[in-house]
Amino acid sequence: MPLFTRAHATPRRSSQLLVGINVALVAIMRLIFDRGTILVAEAPAGLDLAQLPGLLWDPRVGAPRAPAWRHHELMDAMRVAGVRFSDSVSAVVRPADGWAEIELRPYQEAALCAWELASRRGVVVLPTGGGKTRLAVAAMARSKLATLCLVPTRVLLDQWLRELSASYPHPVGCLGDGVRDVAPLTVATFESAYRHMDRLGNRFDLLVVDEAHHFGAGARDEALEMSTAVARLGLTATPPRKGPASERLAQLVGPTVYELSVDDLAGRFLASFDSVTLHLQLTPSERATYEGLMSSFRTVYAQFRRLAPEASWEDFSRAAVRTTEGRRGLLALRQARKLLAFTEGKRTALRTLLERHREARTLVFTADNETAYRIAREHLVMPLTCDIGRREREEVLQRFQRGELTALVSARVLNEGLDVPSADLAVIVGGSLGEREHVQRIGRVLRPAPGKRALVYELVSRQTMEVTQAQRRRKGLGPRVADQL
Amino acid sequence: MVPESLISYSGHDDRVVPRFLGEHDHVWMRALLDEFARFVGRPQRELDERLREPLPCESPSGKRALAIQVLRRLSGQQRRAAVPPPSARAALFGEAARASAARETVLANVAARLGTTVVSLEDSLFADLPSERLVVPIEASVSPTQLALRANLALAQAFISRAAAVAVEVEGNARALVRHAKLRGLLCTVTPRSDPGSARLEISGPLALFRHTLVYGRALGELLPLLARCLRFRLRAVCVLPGRRVTLELGSADPIFPALETRLYDSLVEERFARDFRRAAPDWDVIREPEPIAAGGTLVFPDFALQHRQHPGRRWLLEIVGFWTPGYLTRKLAQYRAAGLPNLILCIDEQRNCADGDLPDKALVVRYKRRVDAAAVHRLLLDRASS
Repeated sequence: MPLFTRAHATPRRSSQLLVGINVALVAIMRLIFDRGTILVAEAPAGLDLAQLPGLLWDPRVGAPRAPAWRHHELMDAMRVAGVRFSDSVSAVVRPADGWAEIELRPYQEAALCAWELASRRGVVVLPTGGGKTRLAVAAMARSKLATLCLVPTRVLLDQWLRELSASYPHPVGCLGDGVRDVAPLTVATFESAYRHMDRLGNRFDLLVVDEAHHFGAGARDEALEMSTAVARLGLTATPPRKGPASERLAQLVGPTVYELSVDDLAGRFLASFDSVTLHLQLTPSERATYEGLMSSFRTVYAQFRRLAPEASWEDFSRAAVRTTEGRRGLLALRQARKLLAFTEGKRTALRTLLERHREARTLVFTADNETAYRIAREHLVMPLTCDIGRREREEVLQRFQRGELTALVSARVLNEGLDVPSADLAVIVGGSLGEREHVQRIGRVLRPAPGKRALVYELVSRQTMEVTQAQRRRKGLGPRVADQL
Repeated sequence: MVPESLISYSGHDDRVVPRFLGEHDHVWMRALLDEFARFVGRPQRELDERLREPLPCESPSGKRALAIQVLRRLSGQQRRAAVPPPSARAALFGEAARASAARETVLANVAARLGTTVVSLEDSLFADLPSERLVVPIEASVSPTQLALRANLALAQAFISRAAAVAVEVEGNARALVRHAKLRGLLCTVTPRSDPGSARLEISGPLALFRHTLVYGRALGELLPLLARCLRFRLRAVCVLPGRRVTLELGSADPIFPALETRLYDSLVEERFARDFRRAAPDWDVIREPEPIAAGGTLVFPDFALQHRQHPGRRWLLEIVGFWTPGYLTRKLAQYRAAGLPNLILCIDEQRNCADGDLPDKALVVRYKRRVDAAAVHRLLLDRASS
């Protein structure tokens, strides 16, 4: 056996071979990957844990331990401190070569450079339709690192696999939607990554986090904590602004390194669009029902506000479920929302719009799946929801691209990052969703298709809570000043 | 998973008691089961709609929601369609996009083409989607009593899923807990108690050292059904609920054990080894799960004892080790030696690989990848007998 072929050849063997006599044994300290953490084996008795980042003494196993994401920081600190150690953490298999040439738009190139200059750590903020996936694929091709891409939904899983396979000739791994298949380049849903990172954490050098704003608030952050990948690229159109979530995201993925808003790209790289809000009347009986429901909700809510003027909406809903009255109030609100989801006025308006724009490629957005199915039945529009199976979903998208289907109706599937090329009309039927979701929805139709000008209709019921919602949503479309550019 | 809003309890933060369902809830649970029965053969959506309304008799809403959730998991669904729904959708929506005809005309044309009626076509359209599938009857064995126990188990697991660690004092069947922990990648420290067969277990995951992580919540919750087989137990866990941190205590008297066929988290590797070894070495007895052994202040749980039928003195213990580090193996061996049991074979997972030099001396080690080579173990035993 040749000497020192491996960093962790034991000192005993080497010293015996070298001098032929037994010298006192000094076991060398070893870093080991243990289920999403770094375990330090054979740590010398005098090791000062306070000097080394992330390490804590684990009495359960009698050894120091650090969370996996601090692996490189820990090694750097050990080197600086002159501590001798060997590292057998990584189980990375490098991806094979053969990447296709990936063409980037100038701003994508700039974003990639900014990320590389930031030591390949950070979040890139681009509006939906700005080609974030393309950017990530370029980052993988250029860095040639073993990469795990985290995506929020099963639908996006398919889309990333398609996009990666278009530029990379070898098999791409997939985790999620019933598949468990790991390769040097792998795409995983957030949920699968969360569940399996204890076994995957040392197999990748780059983490790509799509829709990165989902992280930082605590839920599923473990997926990022249990990985040793030092290079990290976050992608989002709507980064969390200031606060603990944004700080945590900066810690786990990196700071915002590049940011562009819709306005920066509209016209040149994103089709510019017109937006029309249609104010619709409730029918007299709808109005009566609505007012009845809202007044019983308001009574409960006003009572709560009187007692706790500073409380948030979350505080209210948490308190409300604990009393009969509160629950009745919440139920009334839910029923009012349901009523607004698809009123007579909206039904008529939608029919007119679909007829008027027969030639357009149309996306209809609803507040919930149920409304999506109602519209599907009434207007014979294909629904695209998470209940529709994976293969059918893909087929539907292809038929939509080929023009064999001219309209799709969806509650949630289309919201985040899904590519639907050349849709030129969007109708927002409902959805009591905040600014963030609306921005992303509008983004769906902003795919650059030469010569097209996109049109967004928003259906709002007069004198209802939808009016303020619509105002709030439009605010999200305005120009946004970049935090750091 | 039971949502946070349904987690209900009484008591102070340092010791809360879940609000379990009991006999006083049987009346409304009976009514609930009847509602489910009434909707058999109708779409799930209609049942869901009905369940949003109150029951004919008084029922506490939180408990009712919990019971409904448990029943949903128990009830199956059936798809029935004249035309396979995906084909119905592909045909109908494609035709609607192609032909600029009225809705009724499109429906009639497509129905004719598929050889069915407009009504069946419309019925088939979404018949495969969760909300449209038909409700099927719940097993007759689910009585109000059983439903209450299942709901209580779900409630207790909901608490545990918000814990980063559990401590259990247990009498009898500690092995099943240790084994589950081992297989699910949890860390388990075992302290024997004075009375034989009892132990105190502390179970958590590696990352729990750094913060109150919920990533192990599901695996910890799976421990609960295993406690049904323990003579007596007491479990403590610190759970993080919205805005507060509470300590949950559960004991043998708590009504959380429905008559389930408790499927243990069985290791395929162990199952296969037992079978393979019996075949490879017919003159040896394979004893699964021999008694735990007190050693060096802890308990060790060998997976098998292998004993020669003619020469019972030739007895070996075998442990299949999933997760390991060199230090862990060294301590393990020391434990067995301290207990005066030198005849030990360790089977270690190749995927948890480290260099030979790192293995403790004198350990008989068989490496495996997915399947332990029973013939190799047998050869090892024969070698030792001859040397």
